[in-house]
Formats: sequence, structure tokens, C-alpha cells
Amino acid sequence: MADAQMQPIIELKDISKTYGQVKALDQLSCVIPAGATGLLGPNGSGKTTMIRTMLGLVRPDAGTGMVFGLDIRSQQLDIRRKIGFSPEDDCLFPGVHGIEFVAYAGELCGMQSSDAMQRAHEVLDYVGLGEVRYRKVESYSSGMKQRLKLAAAIVHDPQLLILDEPTNGMDPAGREHMLQLADDLATNKGMSLVFSSHLLPDVESVCRCIVVLSGGKLLVQGDIGTLKQIHSGSYELRLKEAPGNYVEHITDAGCQVQINGEMLRVRLPDGLAPEMLWRQAALDHVQIRHLRPQRSTLEEIFLGAVERS
Amino acid sequence: MVDSIVRSHEIKPVIAFHEVSKWYGNVIGINKLTLEIGPGICGLLGPNGAGKSTLLQLATGQLRASQGTVMLFGEPAWNNPAINLRIGLCPEQDALYEWMTGREFIITCARLTGYRQSAARNRADELLESVGLTAHKHRVVRGYSKGMRQRTKLAQALVANPEILFLDEPMTGTDPIARRHLLDIILRLADEGKTIVVSSHVLYEVQSLTQNIVLMNRGRLIAQGHIREIRDLMDKHPHRIVLVTPQCRQLASILMTWPHVDGIHLAPDNRSMTVATRQPDAFYAQLPAKVVEHSWQIDEVYSEDDNLDAVFHYLVDR
Amino acid sequence: MPIAEQGYQHWSGRLSGHAWRWLAITHRGVQIQFRNRFLRYVLFAAWTPAFLLVCMLSIWGLLEQKSKWVSTVVQFLRFINPHVIAQPRYYRLDVWRLCYGYFMHVELFFSMLIVLIVGPGLISQDLRVNALPLYFSRPLRRIDYFLGKLGVISFFIGMVTILPAVIAYVFGLLFSLNWHVAVVTFPILLAAVTYGIIICISAGTLMLAFSSLSRNLRYVALFWLGFWFVSGVVSDVLISGHNQQLRSQYYHSAPVLQPSTGAPSGRLLSRQYWRQFHSYQFEAQLHDWRPLVSYTGNLNRLGNKLLGINDVWLKLAKLEPNRWRRSFLLMRFGGPWYPWYWSLALLTGLFLGSAGLLKWSIRSFDRMK
Repeated sequence: MADAQMQPIIELKDISKTYGQVKALDQLSCVIPAGATGLLGPNGSGKTTMIRTMLGLVRPDAGTGMVFGLDIRSQQLDIRRKIGFSPEDDCLFPGVHGIEFVAYAGELCGMQSSDAMQRAHEVLDYVGLGEVRYRKVESYSSGMKQRLKLAAAIVHDPQLLILDEPTNGMDPAGREHMLQLADDLATNKGMSLVFSSHLLPDVESVCRCIVVLSGGKLLVQGDIGTLKQIHSGSYELRLKEAPGNYVEHITDAGCQVQINGEMLRVRLPDGLAPEMLWRQAALDHVQIRHLRPQRSTLEEIFLGAVERS
Repeated sequence: MVDSIVRSHEIKPVIAFHEVSKWYGNVIGINKLTLEIGPGICGLLGPNGAGKSTLLQLATGQLRASQGTVMLFGEPAWNNPAINLRIGLCPEQDALYEWMTGREFIITCARLTGYRQSAARNRADELLESVGLTAHKHRVVRGYSKGMRQRTKLAQALVANPEILFLDEPMTGTDPIARRHLLDIILRLADEGKTIVVSSHVLYEVQSLTQNIVLMNRGRLIAQGHIREIRDLMDKHPHRIVLVTPQCRQLASILMTWPHVDGIHLAPDNRSMTVATRQPDAFYAQLPAKVVEHSWQIDEVYSEDDNLDAVFHYLVDR
Repeated sequence: MPIAEQGYQHWSGRLSGHAWRWLAITHRGVQIQFRNRFLRYVLFAAWTPAFLLVCMLSIWGLLEQKSKWVSTVVQFLRFINPHVIAQPRYYRLDVWRLCYGYFMHVELFFSMLIVLIVGPGLISQDLRVNALPLYFSRPLRRIDYFLGKLGVISFFIGMVTILPAVIAYVFGLLFSLNWHVAVVTFPILLAAVTYGIIICISAGTLMLAFSSLSRNLRYVALFWLGFWFVSGVVSDVLISGHNQQLRSQYYHSAPVLQPSTGAPSGRLLSRQYWRQFHSYQFEAQLHDWRPLVSYTGNLNRLGNKLLGINDVWLKLAKLEPNRWRRSFLLMRFGGPWYPWYWSLALLTGLFLGSAGLLKWSIRSFDRMK
């Protein structure tokens, strides 16, 4: 099972694509494993071009690529049978009902119309749009529209689902629902996921690996857990009230303390364990409300990688 | 449910809504809203249809309240052109003059506000410098990325050097780098003493800007104030505090004897546990002393729902 | 398993190849268009000429059988030459051809109207709402997409041209009660159907090309309207200008009848000479390029050629004893006389141009935002 998880589903080697003056992709090589992967990058980094290359919509100037073992240059139609894509823009044409839209999406993939209709009902129930399926799509709220696009993308049961900014403009409840659906599909239903988004906490909650692009090149690629290094000996600390004497006491004991608003960053000297912080807290009668080893956040990884390039 | 309104500032309020209602035909936008906002950054939150845009439009004088009064600096907001020099709005919609360059656009806005030609040019350069668009100011707006457009909108809101700024979804669609820039700009503006109202759906962005929020749902005000204070008042939902320790069950058996602990949930890997308590203050107060007394090894302690997501979740009844 | 799995389930069906993919697009497109009430009214109105065609063919069938109901109807047919009515069987082919000719002429107008109603949104709306990634991220080729959209237009044009033509044919056969008629008149049906197909392909590709140029379907509709009417108007203006020119040329080339000294110079032409003007005009028409400017005129010319209308009029004109009146008839009713292959060339050129334009506007996303 672990082997199957780590098998790459997308392999791109030295892909280059130039539009006039602009180099959208510059000898990009990356490997995307099965499971949920986040695709990050500033605007203009080539994320959209990379997605289109994976779908076979754009012919790269140089380089080769394989998606599920199929060549992106010659077997585009076969690749697209196995992929579901939910684009970023509002792509719903007016005048159709929700159920018709999803059934149409299925028919366009090559499903028989009866199959497509049956599957459309199933999928709409799954994404939570069962009650509004007979309403026209223009009456849907933005959250419902995103879920409708998701439904249209999974109607033909693809092996890979590509979501481009799926939580754009959604309110917190809708965002939570969407992330829950994405997580369920990726974790429990065995569908691989490529999640392209600017909202880093969303990516973190769903994806296991990330790929960071910038300027058409690959910056960072890997497991989120491994990338988020734990800084040994460093802790984040928050107390109930203003620190007062506490900070002085622990500095005297050898710790380096940095104050960031209400959060303290404490670096313990070698040999000292966090118990010492509790002891001092008991002595000074302060409440420790938050104590965690310091980890770099995804935002730090991202910004650091982009700055380094 | 929070019934009382927690006031976070005792200073004279800059924006004051008093029993404001607004309806469109039969549809109600805002329902008997009483709200006071003081200087600093205030986050305006709420699900879709909560009435946030209506509130912003009432505050900027674009709509007239069907009932009640909206006051800015003690003056009515409606039908008061003079007050427009003291407020700035950065709207959600992206309707800029696409054919102009960034500089020309800000110059036009400055001239519309009343600056003379040369003064407008200087002001535009100043503003573009402050939002960090100097490198791109001679590029046509059509070619701007989303982050640059947001900064342009912010610059045009700042033209008259207003005391109040309304930002409607200022960071949607921007990549993390642009978001960092915008965050820094907004924090700097708040430090200068302005009142900033930020309406957003993205909770972690609001949380990185401010701890002071206004939460609306279905046209009514649900909560206002500091996130933690609101959380503390919500006694229907016990706080969930996570303790990471290798001695889970041992700790659990002792913690269960404490009167203010409502329940303990052990994680499957036996490395952490979640304590539910309705009196978090008492719990935290007792904890350090007991840790030392029993020589427990607690590696981590944090609260799962001390954040805006949890507050929002509980209050908006999902 | 006592408890069934709820939530997402996998699907183990097969995806078909893309040979019939265009049919899915056509089917959905037609379904959406049928919701337009105005279109339904236009379709209904477009069937009136079909009804008249059916009546005419049936009456002619009854005439052939010398049925007694006919005598009442014959008085309404006085506009037809009595020779023709006296020999219905001899003139059967010609009358059928003429009826189909007029029918298709009217239905050409309705086809253009239908293309105006159905066509503009087909591609421009997909461009406006950015639905193209939805299509092309699926195993669908561009040609399937275009064929599907063309199918929507063709369906409606077919409904007003081909379908009524076939039904009228069947009625005409039924009323003549003579299966030999089928063999003889079958080419007419074939010609009508071919004409219908030509209209579908030509107008369809042209409209799709226009539709792919703009995101606003109102502009596309206006453009089509302009193209349709303006080309016709310009053509008419050119033709009448040409006629004026011919008239003055003829006038100046006429021999002077009454030379007189002292009296103001002028040319009085005899009435007979003026009658000869019609054949002069007719000769000029044979090589006149001006009717080519009108788009519908071109389609009309091809239709006339397919249905053999020119020959029919040549035959009918022989019944007219007066030479000059004959020319007048031919010129007025016989339809445009310039070579049909000019129209064919022009329409083929338009078709290739539209196809090229379509391919260029919907390039495979290399330039899509």
C-alpha cells in the first residue's frame, strides 16, 4: 500500500514552453506522487501552464512527460479520460439546471446519456447539492457553484482530480465543506488530487506533498511533514497576561527569548527540557496557555523558497 | 449565545450604527443593528448573505438606512459629501479604468477628489510609493496581476488621506507574496492611527491582522470584540485543550478528579489528549503547580478552538 | 454487507470513443434552444409555406387524376397558363420544380432568421463564461466541438427545409396515386435535400465563425443581421444602378428616328425598340457579377441550379407567343442567369474562410487566459 502511494502518477522532464517573449515553463522537471499534492506558486509562475500541459492542452516546446504512463504529446485524449478538471473561473453556462450540467459533463466524456444521468444524481448527492439539483445554475451561490464544478469533474470517476483555486471567494462554511470533500476523495476514495491554491492553510489541511513553482522553474518539492522542520530546542510560548517577571527569570536561566506580540519565542539552551518552563510558571503564578515546539509554517517555507530563487 | 456586546475600546466611537435596519422591498438586509467601532483594525465577518456589504454601503453613505442612524465622527453618513474626504473605500469589485496606467489612474482619482494637476501628480507618486507600486506605475492596468490591482485600489482609497478605511475582501485572489505586502501596508496604516474595517471570508487573514472582530449573520450582529473574550463568554461550548504527553492515561486519571474538567478524550496513539472544560481560566491556573507537584512531562499544550475558526463555527451554527 | 456504502462510489462503466461525441453537444444545444418561446413561434410560422407546398402538390396530383374536387379549385389557379392546366401530366415535373423552388426560396428566409436566433450564442456564450476549459479538458477534439455546434444549427434549418420537403413529397406521391411519379420526381427531392444541406453547412459555418469572434452575442447577432441584409441591399443597389446604366446605354445606341434641324435634338424611340430592350437586358444579365454580392442570392442561385428552375422557365416561356414578352418573363421570373459555378466558388471560398477563422479563434488554449 505504501508502495502504491509513492508511485508517481505524473512525471515531467525538462518541459519548456515559451509564449512570445515570456517563458512560461523553463526546463521544469518534477514528479507528482499518488495522493493529494498541493501546487503552489506566485502569479505568473507557470502553474496554469503546467496544469494545461498535464491535460495535454498545451504542446510543450521541449521535454517529455508521462501521466499515468501515457505520453502527454501523443496520447492526450487517453490522458483526459483519466483526469477531472475543475477550472478557476466561473464556467457555468446559463439556462441549464444543475443536474443537466453535470450529466452533460459526463456525456462529453463519452458516457452514455443514461449512465451520465444516473451518475450525475449520485455525484450531486455526494457533494451536497442534492436539494438544489433542479434549479438553474445561475441561481446558485458561489460555494454551490464550486461544488457543482467539482461534481462535473468527478462524474466520470477519474483517477486524478485537478482543482484550480477551488475555495476562491467562498465563505468559511463553504470552504470547510469543500476541503472536507477534497480530503475525503483523496484519502478515502483513492483518487489522486492536485490542489492549486493561494490559500496555504487550505493546502496544508488537504495535501500531503507540495510542489512550489516560480518563474517557470521548480523550487521545492516534497512531503509537507518533512519540509516543516522542527527547530529543536525552540518553543512557542504564550502566557495569559503580560509576561512580567517570567521572561526575566527564564532569561536568567539561559534561555533566549524573542517577543512577537503576545507570542514568545523561547530557545532553550542544550540540556534543558521544557519542564523548566513549567517550574518557573508555577513559581511566578503565570498561566501557560500555549506551548509548542516551533515549526516552520507552510507560508514560511513558501516565502523562503521564493526569496531564495 | 453571546447576548451582551463586549466593548473593546472606551474611546469615542468613530463609526456608530444605532438601531439601523435596511430592507430592499421585502428582503431584509440589516436588522436592528447597533454597533460602535473605534480606531484600529476591525474585522467584519459573516457568512454569505449576512449583510456585510450592506453594512459597508451604509457606512460609506451609498445607501440610506430604512430605519436608525449611521454616524461617522458624529455626523450622519448619508447625504453628506463633506465626509467623503475622510473615508476611503477599497471595493471588492475589480472595475478599474483598464486603459490607463496605474499612475494615470491615481492622478485621475486625485483630481476627482479636488487636487490640482501638479498636486495630483505628486500625490499619486507618493501613494504609489507607499503601496509599493512605483516599479509598475507606468504599466497599463490591464496588465496588472491581482495583487497589483488590489494595491491600486488601496492607493485610490488613500487619496484624500482618510481617517477611516473600508476594505472589502482586500486579499482575495492574491498570491502569498502579494498578501504579505498588503498585510504590511494595512498594519502600517493602522499604526498611523486610522480606523480600518476589513471585511473578509478568509479567517486566517483576518486573524493575522487583528484580534478585534464584528461577526454578523442574517443581518443581525452576533458578536463584537476581542476573539478571546468572545470565546470565553461562549460557555455552551466547552474549551478543548490539547495536552501532548507520554503519560496520557496517568494524567487523565488525575485530571478527571478536578471539578472544572468536563471530559477527557484520549487520542488513538496515546500520545495526546483533549481536555474539555468550561472554566479554562481555573484549569490553566492550576496546571503549572500540578505539573511540578506530580513531575509530569507535558511536551505541548495548546487549545484547538481558541481561534477565529472555532468562534465563527460555533456562533454561526453550522 | 448489511450497511451500504454511502457517499462517493466508483463507476466502472466504459467511456465510448469520440465518434459520436458531437451528438451529445448537438442534443444538449437543441434542448436548450427549444426553451426559447420565440424560436418555437418562428418554427411554427416557417411551416406555413410547407403547408402550402403540400397543398399545391396534392392539388396537382388531383388534377392529374382529373378528380371532381379539382374543378372548384381550378378557378383559383387562373394565374397559371391554361395550357399548363390542360396537360397536368406533361407539366408535372415543371410544376413540382417550381413549387419546390418557391418553397425553398421562402424557407431560405426562415433559415436565415433561425440562424439569427439560434446561432449567435453557440460559441460566443462559451467564450463569455469561459466554458471552453470545461469542454477541452475532456477527451474531446476541436472538430467534435465544432461539429456538435454545427449540428444545432443544422437541426433547426433541417426542420424547416429538409423535413417539410420530404413530407410534402410523400403527400404529393400519395395524391397522385401513381408510383411511376416517384421514379420521375425523385431527383427533385434529392435536389431539395441537397440544397437544404448546402444551406446548413454554409450558413452554419459562417455563423459559427462570427460567433467565435466576440463574447457578446448581441454583437454577433447584429453582425449576422447586417451581413444578411446589407449584402442583399448592396446587391440590389448595384443591380438597379447597372440597369440604369444599361438603359442609358441602350438609349444612346438607338438610331435617331426624327432628325430635324432647328428642333431640340432628342431621340424618340419606337415602342418596338423599347421592347427589344428586355432581350438586351437579358443578354447583359447572363454575365452580371452584381448578384454575387448578396449572400442569400448565392444560395438561391445554387438552389435554382439544383432544382433546374432555369430550364423550367425556359420551357414555360416557350408557351408565350410574343418574343419580347418571353424575354421579360425569363428575366423577371427565371431567376438570376449568371453561371452557377460562380456562386459555388464564392460559397466554397466563404466556407473555407469560416473554417479557417474558427480554427484560428479557438486555438488549443495556447493563448487562453
